[in-house]
Parts: sequence; C-alpha cells; structure tokens
Amino acid sequence: MSDKTWTPGDDVILVQRGPEPGGAGGAYRAFGETLRGLKTTFARMVEGPQTIQYPEEKTPVFPRFRGRHRLHRFEDSGLEKCVGCSLCAAACPADCIRVVAAENTPENRVSAGERYAAVYEINLSRCIFCGYCEVACPFDAITMGHDYELSDYSRSDLIFTKEMLLAEPLDRTPLRAEGE
Amino acid sequence: MPRPEVNMVTLTIDGREVSAPENVMLVDGAKYGDVEIPVFCYEPKLGQPVGACRMCLVEVEGIPKLQTGCSTPVKDGMVVHTQTQRVKDAQEAVVEFLLINHPLDCPVCDKGGECPLQDISFGWGGGRSRFVEPKRHFEKPLALSPLIAIDRERCILCYRCVRFSQEVSEDYQLVLAARTADTYVATFDGHPYVAPFSGNIIELCPVGALTSRPYRFRARPWDIEGSGSVCTLCPSQCNVELTVRDERVLRVISRVHEEVDDGWLCDKGRFAYQAIHVDERITQPLVREGGTLRGVSWERALDEAARGLSRAGSASAALAGGETTNEEGFLLQRLTREAVGSAHMDSRAGGSLPVELHAALGAPVLQATVPDLQYAHAILVLDTEPVDDMPIVDLRIRKGVRRNRVKLAVATSRPSSLDRNAAVSVRYAPGCGEAFVAALNAALGGEEKNFAELVAAAGTTAEGVRAVADLLAGAGGTGGPGDVVILWGERLTHGRRGAAAARGLLNVAGHLALAGREGAGLLEVPAGTNGRGLREVGVLPRIGPGMAQVASPGALGAAGIRDGLAAGELSAVHLLHVDPLADLSGRAAWKRGLEAATTVVAHSAFLTEGLREHATVIFPAESYAEKEGTVTHPDGRVQRLRPAIGHPGEVRPGWQVLAELMKRAGHDPGVLTGAMVSRRLFEAVGMYAGLTLEELGGRGVRWPARAQAAAWPQADLGPFGLESPPAAPSPNGELRLGTFRSIWAGPAVGASPALRFLVPKVRVEMAPADAQRRNVTHGDHVTLGADGSAVEATVMLRDAVPEGTVFMETNALDPGLVDVRKAPPESRR
Ligand code: SF4
Ligand code: SF4
Ligand code: SF4
Ligand code: SF4
Ligand code: FES
Repeated sequence: MSDKTWTPGDDVILVQRGPEPGGAGGAYRAFGETLRGLKTTFARMVEGPQTIQYPEEKTPVFPRFRGRHRLHRFEDSGLEKCVGCSLCAAACPADCIRVVAAENTPENRVSAGERYAAVYEINLSRCIFCGYCEVACPFDAITMGHDYELSDYSRSDLIFTKEMLLAEPLDRTPLRAEGE
Repeated sequence: MPRPEVNMVTLTIDGREVSAPENVMLVDGAKYGDVEIPVFCYEPKLGQPVGACRMCLVEVEGIPKLQTGCSTPVKDGMVVHTQTQRVKDAQEAVVEFLLINHPLDCPVCDKGGECPLQDISFGWGGGRSRFVEPKRHFEKPLALSPLIAIDRERCILCYRCVRFSQEVSEDYQLVLAARTADTYVATFDGHPYVAPFSGNIIELCPVGALTSRPYRFRARPWDIEGSGSVCTLCPSQCNVELTVRDERVLRVISRVHEEVDDGWLCDKGRFAYQAIHVDERITQPLVREGGTLRGVSWERALDEAARGLSRAGSASAALAGGETTNEEGFLLQRLTREAVGSAHMDSRAGGSLPVELHAALGAPVLQATVPDLQYAHAILVLDTEPVDDMPIVDLRIRKGVRRNRVKLAVATSRPSSLDRNAAVSVRYAPGCGEAFVAALNAALGGEEKNFAELVAAAGTTAEGVRAVADLLAGAGGTGGPGDVVILWGERLTHGRRGAAAARGLLNVAGHLALAGREGAGLLEVPAGTNGRGLREVGVLPRIGPGMAQVASPGALGAAGIRDGLAAGELSAVHLLHVDPLADLSGRAAWKRGLEAATTVVAHSAFLTEGLREHATVIFPAESYAEKEGTVTHPDGRVQRLRPAIGHPGEVRPGWQVLAELMKRAGHDPGVLTGAMVSRRLFEAVGMYAGLTLEELGGRGVRWPARAQAAAWPQADLGPFGLESPPAAPSPNGELRLGTFRSIWAGPAVGASPALRFLVPKVRVEMAPADAQRRNVTHGDHVTLGADGSAVEATVMLRDAVPEGTVFMETNALDPGLVDVRKAPPESRR
C-alpha cells in the first residue's frame, strides 16, 4: 500500500504546531522561564547552604524510621526475648530471615520460653526494610533500628547473625527531635 | 464380613442437594457437597465417633437441638444447616470453651502453623474470651516416652490418642486419668508409653499436646518441604512423606494410602530416618588395603570391584538384601549373569523354590490384597508375627477383627501378639510349619488316616488343628466357602523342605477354594522389604526377569553360595544391601565363607560386622530418602521411590554403580538415568510391561490387576501329593529353639539416636516351668549351645511360651535343639 492511495477519514485530527523558532516569542522562551526559576534560587541564597557533610554529619531520622534490625533482651533477667518461633521468617516477603530453634535446658537457658533461636540470621542484602518481621513478632523481640549505614565489601558480610543483632549498636544515627 | 455395598442417599446441606453414601457421618457426607464442618475428636480411622469435643454441631431440621455432625449418619431427605446463627453461636462457644484452659503457647508450640486448633479458632471462633481466671497448670513439657513429649496444658481431651491405644493398636497403655478440668492423658501405670506404633498419636493429636521429641523445635511448617516416597524398612512399604529442611530429613509422616498402610506408620518407619544423617554412615568408597579399609576414589573402587568379580567369573556369586529396589536387582542379575558370567545369585536367604511353586504361590488368581484382610470372613496367620515382620498389617488385622468381626486363626510356633484377638490360636514346634500345614490339609480334606501322625510331627494338638480347619472351612457360614485370607510368612517355605511346605499350603488354598475368589487368597510376608519385587525381576538362582526359567543347572542359592565360598569353590561374592553375618541364618558358616572369599564387594550404608571384617570393596549405599526406583509390595503393588534429598558425601545412586560395574566388565547396559533403568526393567518383566513411572505416580499400581498379569507363568495350583514331613525333634532334656527377627532389628534402628533404646537385647524367651527346671529365673544369664556353637543371653520368662521351647532373636544358632544352662558367673557382663 503506498501513501498516495491513503485517504484520511473523518477521525483524523490536525496537530497544532508550536510557533516557528526565532523572534520575540523565541527570546522569551529561552530566558523568561529560566529567570523565573532563578528568582527562587536567589531568594534562597540568603538562607545559607543546606548541604549535609556526610559522613561527618548525618541526617537525623524519624523515630519510626525502619533501619537495621535489633534483637532485644529482657532488661531484668538478660534472657533473650526471641523464642525462635520463626514467625518473622514466615512474614518476611523477601525470605531473608533464617531461624533454627533449639530447646532451653536448665543448664543452658537462653530465652524465657521453652525454645530459643540457636541460629538467627538476617540477610540484609536482601531485606527490603518493610518491617513485617517486627509486626509479626509476638514478643517484641525484633524491632527495626535506626541504623542505615549498611555497606560492606562482600555480600556475605551482610548476613547479620544473632550476636550482631543482639549487640548494643554504636549510636551512629541521630534521631530527629520532637517536631523537627 | 465382605465389603459393604455403597448406596447413595440425597440430602440437603445449606440449601444444596448433596448425594452421599448411606450411613456415613454428616461430617463426611457434607464433604460431598463441599461443605466443611469443623471437627477435633472425629477421626474415622479410629472407629466409632465419641462426640467428645462438640465442635461439629449442626442444625438438622426436625430435631430441636443441635446435633453433632460426627456422630449423626446421613439419611435420605435430611435437611441440614451449618451456617445459621444458632450453629455459629454454638461453634464460637465451643471454641471459647476449649480455649479457656489452653495456654497461649503457639510461638513455642511445635504444632503452630499446622494446628487444627489454630485453624478452627481462626475460622470458626469468636475471637474473644471472657475468661479472666487463671488457667489450669500442669508440669510441662514431660516425656510420655523417649519419643513423645506431652504438654498436658495444651490437651483438649479429644480422646484421639487414648482411642488409638485402646482400639487401634490395642496396647491398652494410654488412659485419661483424673476427672473434669484436671483430666490428663497418661499411661495407666505411669511407665513410658513404649509400643511399636506409639508415634501415630503425634499425628493424631489435633493440638500440640503430643509432639515428637526427635523433631522437637527442628522446623516450622513454612521452613520445610514435604517429599513423598515409600518406606523401605519392612515389607509393609508404607507410603510416607519426608519432611525436609536444608537437605536433611527431619521427620517422617504418613502419606495415607488406604490400600497399603491405612494412614499409620510404625515407630521404626517414623523415627529411623535419623540414621540417614549420622556420622557412622559410609559416604565414600572403601577398599581394603593391607587388612584395613581405606577411603579411595570411585574409579579405584569400581576398578577393583569389577576386576575382582570378573576374575572370579563363574566362581562369583551375588546376594541381594531386602532393601534392594527392583532396578538395582535387575541390574545386579544382569551384571552377574551377563557381564560376570555367573549363575549364582539369590535374594531369598532361606532358599528358593522351583519356579512352578513360586509361580503358583504368587499367581494373580490366588493373590489377596491388604484391604482384603479387613473384609475377609476369616484370616489365617501362618508362621509369621505380623508386628515384627510386617507391622502395619498387624493393625489391619486388628481392625478387621474389631470392626468387621473377621474371624482370626493364628498358627505360629512363637506366641503371637494377635493371640488375644484370635478365635483360635495354635502352637506348633519351631521349624515344623510344613507338618502343621500337612495336618491342616488333612483336617480340611477329612483324611483321618495319618492325621494323628502329622499332628505329632508338627508338635501340636489335634484339637487345635481341627479348630483352625473348622474355622476356615466354615468361614462363609451356610453360604458355602467364605473369603479366607492366609497371611503366611516366607519362613514357612525356607530350608530344604520349603517346597513341600509350599505344596501343602497350595493344597490348603485348594480346599478352601481360594483361587479366583475376589477378596480371598494368599498374602505372603516376605523376609525382606522387596522380596517379591526381587523375585519378579529375577534375582533367584534359576529364575530370570518376569519369572522366566533360566537354564543354568548348577546355579547356587544363598545356602549353596555360603557353602561354596567356605569350600573354596566360589571365590568372589557381591553383597547388595546385605550383610550375611547380621542378616542371614547360618552365621558360623557364613563367617567361614566370607573369610575364604578373595573378593567381597558390598554396597552398604553402615559398616556392619561382616563388612568391617571381610569386605574388600565397599560402595556407599543410598538411604531410601535418596533413592529413585521402584519396589513391589507383597500384594503386587509396584510403588515408586522418589529422592527427597541429595546424596551426602560421595554417595552415588545404586543403579549407577551397578551400571558402571557392568561397563567395566565389558557389558555396557546403556542406561544414563534412573528412569531409563526403570524403563528397561518394565520392558524385561512381562507383568510390568507398559508400566511407566508416571502411571505409578504416588499411589502405585497393582500389577495383578492389570491385563499384563497374563504374562505370569501358568502354574499348577495343586492338589499335590504330600510326602510325610519330618517329625519335630523330641526334646530330650534339651529345648527346641525357635528364632525370630524383631521389628527393631536392622542397622537403621541402632544408628538412630532416638530409637537406640529399642535395640533388642539378646534375650531368650522361656516358659516358667522350663526355667524352674533349669534353676534359672527372669534376668539370669544363660548359655545356649548347639553343635559346638554357644551364645549367651538373658532369660525372659514368658507365660505363653509352650513348654519345651525357647525363642531367641539370633542368627548365630539355627533352629533345632539347644542346651540351655546357667552361664558361669565370670562370663556375666
Ligand atoms: S524474632 Fe520474634 S518472631 Fe522471630 S523467631 Fe524470634 S520470637 Fe519468633
Ligand atoms: S524488614 Fe521486611 S524484608 Fe526485612 S527482614 Fe523484616 S520482614 Fe524481611
Ligand atoms: S496447640 Fe495449637 S493453638 Fe495450642 S499452643 Fe500449640 S499451636 Fe497454639
Ligand atoms: S493429648 Fe492430644 S490426642 Fe490426646 S486427648 Fe489430648 S488433645 Fe486429644
Ligand atoms: S468432632 Fe464431633 S464431637 Fe468432636
């Protein structure tokens, strides 16, 4: 089928073209909008720079910020709150938690319940920080912390073990104050 | 009682027309209309419903009060509502009530995630509790047995476990103790609940009150994968599901198959999976160098084995143990016959029969099935102890007797655990099965002439034999011959007189007109798991694949191989999943034989005694969780094994090792995958022709029910003229020894940490009167001696043991007369 034989029907709409380049219209288009933007720039200039000098300086996070997880102990007895029930692993959409439970014995009491997590690992290179694990946990044993500095040199170093998650984190992330 | 006819009735459930079989309970009937009624205590496998939990309440029009759906049978024209407000209120109330005392344990409870109480609370509960008082408390967790943990706080008193113990396994150990809210499940005497089928209550319990101790806290339902296979630890071949986490089998549960296992497992099948992951397992090929076994490469081990077997040529022999699959057996016989060039092989340790007798005993027209046991008019248990030899069948017989009033006759030499259920039970002297069968044949045929002689030869009583004969012949009542199933142990046909005993058995079947009778026939209990399959694929001295006669005049069977090795006529032996010293009779002779052999090639998962001392090459064997292939159930069902986990260490598939050996011996079988071996096997065995692995699927296929069963060789089913059997040895100050193999025999039980406590002690069962005469009592050490060999054992007094006889689990002594003496004190261990 060649172009010549094609006749447009009624449903053909004529496209409106913009003005031809050049002339006053062209000059306005080139500078008018730019100046409008620059107005904001100059107006803010008096406020001084807003750049945060990371990593010397850090952005404070909101209390609800979902950063790297923490596992908790009871303050009084020092026992782990986690009983190794695997509910967090069941809830995790990224399938990045691995729990292997074991039984507490009178000689080796690790948690408050009958069982404890002998292995508790979170693969943080897979985690999407959705916080479902925190919601699923019946004992508030796992919570999302504030730490967001999670880079490392190898993937396997991003598998956090129970000991790492239980350890008191270095307080590295400033928290945003009330109303800030 | 024959299978009941099924009539359908029509009823209305929630406004839907549903047609369901007559007399089923509403709960089951509702399923035909896709309506679910929640239940806790109802479990049809346990027999009559008890109506203990009230979870299944429904409204039936015309009855003012709510009814329990689990104990109300469907009726024609019934109108049932399961969704009305009244029913909902009742369901919520029952859930709330059950949860009054139930602890909030889900996160630590092993049932969590697969818990009917969770599911039903979520689906039918009201989601609230008004109970603020303290809950009841029990000490927990406690061990109900070394295998089962009990948490009494979680128990909802559904009676399931108690009913299992009282009405299914009939060990009568579990009871509900105390009353009201303080009621708890316990054994009646406070001892641990140790029984061959105890593990089933773990699966039955609808809450986490009874949990498995070996599985305790190992995994959650979402951490695991289930993999279906078939347990190969005994001839019952129960269908199982292996629970796998991280390439480890953590649990075995039933994959209910009504025609095979009825949904039960024995504790061996349920817990011996632990042997798969123990350090003792051989995971690398071993070769004997300078007297010690050393780990070597596969190449080296295969070369050595192939060289050793080929060098021996026709002076080599092969033995297959019970756990060998059809595929392995098929390749083994090809390797031995074609590549190595020897005709000596066996899979029946007790000696094989002429092909026509094998063909007659296994003929499709004479074949009974496992469910037939439940619906027959009468059962004869002959020379076998089901609970030891084929445990699940024991439960089936009990079910038939209890629920369908099947008449049971037990004829064994060792007292049977089924005696209590039997209408008639008779004893005969150990090893005198042939004479007993001949006497029974005479009684059925009304031959008076030498009846008394036969009875004496069998060491039994005339009344006993007559009672069995009357029971079997009169099973059908006035309606002519009845459906009789004879469950007979392979042991009956062992030994030199095996053929005569088999003929006697066929005569008995002839008198009872069992041939061609639906729901009646013979059911053999083979000595090894896949005894039947190995026979059909041709691992017998003169029988090839498909029961074809193989012309090989001098072919030796197991006993011949043993003696041939000892005499130096044979120099090499190939042991596939068998250790003659542990598994076969004639231990002393085997020891001499293995010592004399120059090449002993073995496939084994464990270094058992005979292999440790005598094997020259050992290939690591797969566990059944790793195997692929098929096995054949004693009733002819070809079942498929599927690998659940990968091979540990350097273990390779058994078929592959055998194929490699064939290749090295110059006969490439041309098989590259396990499925190809199966295909070759199905082509070679006439009765299996046309089978495919897909067709076998998860449920297996009974070949006697297929058209290709016509390929089974025509057999003469008798009647045969019987020679007079040798008489029972008369104990002249000595005692008759009968041997047996308990359910807990085999390396898998000893290697499983959880089951180790069940490993049989060396015990001799004795009648109290005999013990008194010898001045020994329960627990004493004695020596049993016969022709030069002696073993030590501990005396166990058992009232039911007939005087003049002792029983012992051993293969060190052959059945016969033994001398029992108090052991000298210094030999006490
Ligand atoms: S962290 Fe919480 S949810 Fe996860 S295993 Fe431990 S107790 Fe269970
Ligand atoms: S935050 Fe989400 S993705 Fe990360 S471990 Fe928890 S549940 Fe898994
Ligand atoms: S039995 Fe079921 S409902 Fe009860 S604690 Fe265990 S998982 Fe939860
Ligand atoms: S222990 Fe389990 S099976 Fe037994 S009565 Fe209690 S809830 Fe039922
Ligand atoms: S299921 Fe009907 S009363 Fe328990």
